[in-house]
Amino acid sequence: PAMAARLLLRAARPLLAGAGRGTGLGSAFSTAPPPEKKRWLRAYLELQRLQAPPQRRSEKPNWDYHAEVQAFSHRVQENFALDLLKTAFVNPCYIESEEARRRRLGLDKDAVALQLQDNTGLAERGLRFARAYLAQCFEGAYPELPAKGIEALVNFLTSQELVSHVAQNLSIQDLALCRDFPAPPDVLQRTFLAVIGALLESSGPERTGIFVRDFFIPQLIGKDLFEIWEVVNPMGLLLEELTKRNISAPEPRITRQLGVSTVLPVYFVGLYCDKKILAEGPGETLLAAEEEAARVALRKLYGYTENRRPWDYSKPKQELAAEKAISSN
Amino acid sequence: RYVRQLQRLQLLFSPTAADARGARQFVEEAAQDFARRHPDVVLYVSPHSGPGPAPVLRAEYLNGTVRDELIASKTSEEIVQLATKLANQSGLDIIRIRKPFHTDNPSVQGQWHPLTNKPSILTVQGPRLQPQ
Repeated sequence: PAMAARLLLRAARPLLAGAGRGTGLGSAFSTAPPPEKKRWLRAYLELQRLQAPPQRRSEKPNWDYHAEVQAFSHRVQENFALDLLKTAFVNPCYIESEEARRRRLGLDKDAVALQLQDNTGLAERGLRFARAYLAQCFEGAYPELPAKGIEALVNFLTSQELVSHVAQNLSIQDLALCRDFPAPPDVLQRTFLAVIGALLESSGPERTGIFVRDFFIPQLIGKDLFEIWEVVNPMGLLLEELTKRNISAPEPRITRQLGVSTVLPVYFVGLYCDKKILAEGPGETLLAAEEEAARVALRKLYGYTENRRPWDYSKPKQELAAEKAISSN
Repeated sequence: RYVRQLQRLQLLFSPTAADARGARQFVEEAAQDFARRHPDVVLYVSPHSGPGPAPVLRAEYLNGTVRDELIASKTSEEIVQLATKLANQSGLDIIRIRKPFHTDNPSVQGQWHPLTNKPSILTVQGPRLQPQ
């Protein structure tokens, strides 16, 4: 019975300590009160633990940087040159803060200068490669899409929010060395692009291309073209496109209408070229419906409709890689 | 590509307690094997001496969730099974799934709206043409 009671006691304590699991962070075992502390003190210590400011994972117990970096390369299924990868995680703000700290601690000039290189060079190379590769992908997949559209798509995919979101979910925020915690999104973006640059240096353009494709292109799933690309005058753009293909100007006609005299009318405006239907779009007012019809027509022309074929992830794209190698050198 | 969502496993146990026997056996026999089979999970083994909390296997996932599993009085094989189960999970909360189905394309031909099968007002309906 004493043994059973002790076992029960031992099992009960982690359940108490795990009550703060909703916060997700904080380790119960280093700060949990030892068993001989008073019961009335536990609530206060639990409160202290919950109100403590968030700490980096590297400052909590059980952290091995080298092992984590190796695990990262296995998780992403790429072999990196580990020293390049470690340079990719070093940010300039970290180097400055470390040097300032050393100077404050009073070390002499040689010890102050860190032997670390930062990741700006790798980040630039990664960004250039990613942009060029994505632009080429889209040119291949949507040949009708104009340069501005491709630029808008590539800007969206390399934007801060998206890249930092992808980086967060790949645990780069634990591995990146930077001055503030939690790492701001531009630091995460720079670190992730530096990781791409490091991969480019270690494995070459084909593997890096496949990597970029696997992590960036699925972010386009479920997104509409005109959510990403701001087009102010879709009708004007449509007219340009049609003149390029030698089709006459579209004639808008009301196809269906509902609730004209109510507060919420619905108009379906169809665009006809030479009496043949091009596209049809709904809207609240006639102007809004016409603009929507122009957008639908543009989506059809550029081949970016919702029922297009999904992205093809099978081809390794060797010919692209050859051009990439020539253009980046 | 597949990215394993488990980031690291921390094995916290005491080297002398009786209920941590399975954990100690796991560390001696199967932990290295497990780590070799899952190179993308970092396995930390931290024995804390003296009487402490019950032995626990703490799993941290890429989305930040931390899950503690008690391994008191479990055999080494059970701990291996538990660890593989944690390794194959994602870090999403374990709550009731409302529906066992989900689809990204709920409608193939276009969702019905009140004007789907109504003819357009431009369609001219004249008297029936005589066959030629």
